[in-house]
Amino acid sequence: MIPRSISDPIDPTSLPTPSHGAFTSVSARRAFVRPIPALSSTPSPPPSAAEKAKRDWPESVRHYVQRAFATENTVASIPRQEMEIKLKKIISNSAENNTLGTIDWAKLPLPQQMILEERARPALISANPPWGTGLEPLSLQETNVKSTDTLSKKRKSSELDLSQNGQEKVPPWRIANPHNVFEDRITYPDKRQRGDVAGKGSSKSHHNLANRKKRFEDGQPGYLSQQPFSPSKASTPPDVDQGPVIGRSQDLEKRYFRLTSAPNPDTVRPLPVLEKTLDFLKRKWKKENNYSYICDQFKSLRQDLTVQHIKTEFTVSVYEIHARIALEKGDLGEYNQCQTQLRALYSQHLGGHPEEFKAYRILYFIHTSNRTDMNDVLADLTPTEKRDPAVKHALDARSTLALGNYHRFFQLYLDTPNMGAYLMDMFVARERLNALSNICISYKPDVKLRFFTEELGFESDDESARFICDHGGQSFLEERDGEVRLLTGKALRFFETARNTAFKKVDIKGQI
Amino acid sequence: MEVLCREFWHANQEGSGPLLAATISPIAPPSYLNRLDAIHRDTDAASINRDISYSLTKTANAAIQYPNPEITTWTEIYSAYWYAIGAILAAEHTTTRPDWTKVYEAWKDVANTVIKGYSSGVLENWTLPVLYTAGKHLRTFAIKADENVQASENGTNFNVGGLQEDIAGDFGKNEKLEDAARVINRMFTLCISDRAPLEESRKWGLYYTTNLLFKTYFKLNSIGLSKNILRALSASRTDMPALESFPQPHIVTFKYYVGVIRFLEEDYAQAEENLTSAWHMCHRSATRNIELILSYLIPTLLLTRQQLPSPRLLSPYPRLGSLFAPLTLAIRKGSLSAFDTAIAEGEHEFVKRRIYLTLERGRDICLRNLLRKVYLAGDLDEEGKRNTRIYIKDFAAAIRLGESGGSREGMDVEMEGSAGENNDEVECLVANMIYKVTPFSTTFAPHVLTFVRHQNLMKGYIARERGIVVLSKNGAFPGTGI
Repeated sequence: MIPRSISDPIDPTSLPTPSHGAFTSVSARRAFVRPIPALSSTPSPPPSAAEKAKRDWPESVRHYVQRAFATENTVASIPRQEMEIKLKKIISNSAENNTLGTIDWAKLPLPQQMILEERARPALISANPPWGTGLEPLSLQETNVKSTDTLSKKRKSSELDLSQNGQEKVPPWRIANPHNVFEDRITYPDKRQRGDVAGKGSSKSHHNLANRKKRFEDGQPGYLSQQPFSPSKASTPPDVDQGPVIGRSQDLEKRYFRLTSAPNPDTVRPLPVLEKTLDFLKRKWKKENNYSYICDQFKSLRQDLTVQHIKTEFTVSVYEIHARIALEKGDLGEYNQCQTQLRALYSQHLGGHPEEFKAYRILYFIHTSNRTDMNDVLADLTPTEKRDPAVKHALDARSTLALGNYHRFFQLYLDTPNMGAYLMDMFVARERLNALSNICISYKPDVKLRFFTEELGFESDDESARFICDHGGQSFLEERDGEVRLLTGKALRFFETARNTAFKKVDIKGQI
Repeated sequence: MEVLCREFWHANQEGSGPLLAATISPIAPPSYLNRLDAIHRDTDAASINRDISYSLTKTANAAIQYPNPEITTWTEIYSAYWYAIGAILAAEHTTTRPDWTKVYEAWKDVANTVIKGYSSGVLENWTLPVLYTAGKHLRTFAIKADENVQASENGTNFNVGGLQEDIAGDFGKNEKLEDAARVINRMFTLCISDRAPLEESRKWGLYYTTNLLFKTYFKLNSIGLSKNILRALSASRTDMPALESFPQPHIVTFKYYVGVIRFLEEDYAQAEENLTSAWHMCHRSATRNIELILSYLIPTLLLTRQQLPSPRLLSPYPRLGSLFAPLTLAIRKGSLSAFDTAIAEGEHEFVKRRIYLTLERGRDICLRNLLRKVYLAGDLDEEGKRNTRIYIKDFAAAIRLGESGGSREGMDVEMEGSAGENNDEVECLVANMIYKVTPFSTTFAPHVLTFVRHQNLMKGYIARERGIVVLSKNGAFPGTGI
């Protein structure tokens, strides 16, 4: 018979809530796991549970489970629970994928072997979860002696010498564990305690344990584990906030997920891979121009840089490129995030194009009409920076607007270095309305549309006429002597409302 | 310890807040330079609490029966004070880098025990200067501590957290001062939330704590936070004593800060009102404060009244003189090139004071003065009326005249070499004169009534086809008598 716990995930009706991913189902099941004796060692079937989850498991799967629980296959370093979880995962996965019949269960590595393999890849010193033994005093002891040499040697060997049978190196308190659980239940006096753990407390402590374990793994990059457990290492317990992760992923692409726990080195790409990724993304952007894809990819790229504490010229260029792409697509939120980071990066003198982005910053604050920030930018500029063509252009744009010199402003607009025009586009319409209002009040009785087109930096008369019409001013356009004229004397304050609306405060998320 | 306690009882007998506040001053008075040393040497950490409460009880005048809570509270305060003195002395006497962070933390304990004394109702409102002293020095120690940290770290703080999404942030730069702001905010809350009758209310401490908060927020460059305080103040205005009944220094500082906040919001009318009254109320000998007030009032008046500071006004303040005189002169003369030079040369200082973007707008006035000169230079007709039709090219010539010698970059790019042909930019500038509306404050009697009207700098219109500007026959340049 099969423990109920294994059948659970594939029988949604037996679960209070349908499980969507393997992980959730695992944690949901935990509470039932403990009291149910393992298959190989239980002569009697688990009571009602088995009936409920009646399912005809193939003989091969049953054998596989039996082998997994067999005493001789127990690996000391792997707590039983972890093995069980793995086992359930394997079976439920294959059940979900309908591969139960196709897998060669006899040859499939046992769960504990898979776990060992997984661990071997990063070659980590793994914190053996003391709770796995279910013996609290001992687990305490383990935590306390953790840093002693003998123990660490043992653990290391049991983790690293995979080919050997770790049995003789198993710490004494683990000897009990390899015996089957059922025996434990009978012979050990702390049965009640065990029951407690299996009850409500277990899922929590397991959760903590998993977290701790994960943190430990992440904090210890693979190659370090080759060295003896140095006291300094022991004195600084690895934590979320500690030290950079060193990535091991080789994938060029990666979807972005906001981190909710410490990063997993397996999914983090090291610098050489990231460099390739950037090239790849640049090409892809040129070819496909798919912004939502590229933004997502850049965010994960940035995340990988961050968790590995990579702060080089490469980092700068990643942020710069992302900022430029965001700018091109008018994604100010993302652009702002990059701009904030770039500001900090530039202050470290890592290279890149600080002047270009300072200029963007100025243009951006023109857009947001943020005087306080504008003042701060001006305060930060050095005389050298002020002479840079891009910065100078932005400063000129600022001062011409401050003084209402639309004539010069639109000349500057038509001659914007780098990608500043994308930013200027955001406020050019409102400045045109301002100039239009101005001209309507100052000029009498009319002006040629041509004049208007030229002064306000439109590309053609058509475009400027459309702009006027878009704001309801078609009645002020008149054709006379083969020329279109704008009847400014009549329009007077007509465009004021539109102008005032356009100048209402700009509010953008992610603003610095 | 006895010295301290005697001071304490003396202040109590006198009922003098300032004297009481002096007992926790971290700075020794000139008359007793060894005060801190003496107090600190008098006891040690093991017996500090007992010593203080013993001395307090012993030195108490038998005639005065003090309830115990007071002794307890002051024992706590003086104990925290004793530790703070230790940290201060250590910082002052060290041969290596002084640890102001330690001083800050120790002083924060003093501030917190004081706050506790108030919130538990033990300290009465006549002792408010104690709160002021605690808050004031908290701020200065915080600034010193942050300078300490910056000097030792140098550069932007990079976060080391695994969960941060991005590489860097500049948090932590003003860590202690931000922390101090929170403590001072608690002091403010302590005052504003006091429901006791006015005569014994802590509301009397409102403006002092408000000013302290403003000061801190300005230093932190988060002026926006000041607005929350103003909002809280105006919400409880009804059950607050009238502003006039507060001590004058509190009011002057408050009005100054409100004026500057309004100034930065471009609410120049409000800025003018607050800064003007701060200026009138400020003690004449407080030169530094008057300078500060004027450095915002002058740009404000330039915009609201087109008023320029007279040399007589500036003469007592050489710093202000060198700051504003060149600009003032340029505007008065209507010399654009001189204006541009002056503002470029003063830019650093102006930006630092956050008045650059306002002063820049003085160029309009400068230009107006220039155009006005052109108008006045025109011929009179038979009836003695001035010609109101002025060629754009005449205006252009005037503008260019001022620029020929100057080294101005910017607006004259296309005018050079194309004189007379393309005066579009000049037209644009003239159009601005006609279009732009500026507030004109008019005061009829000094400090009685202020009317703000909005007017153009110039009245008239441009007839582009004919290349002329037709000025209004009546008051072509409003506010200038023409």
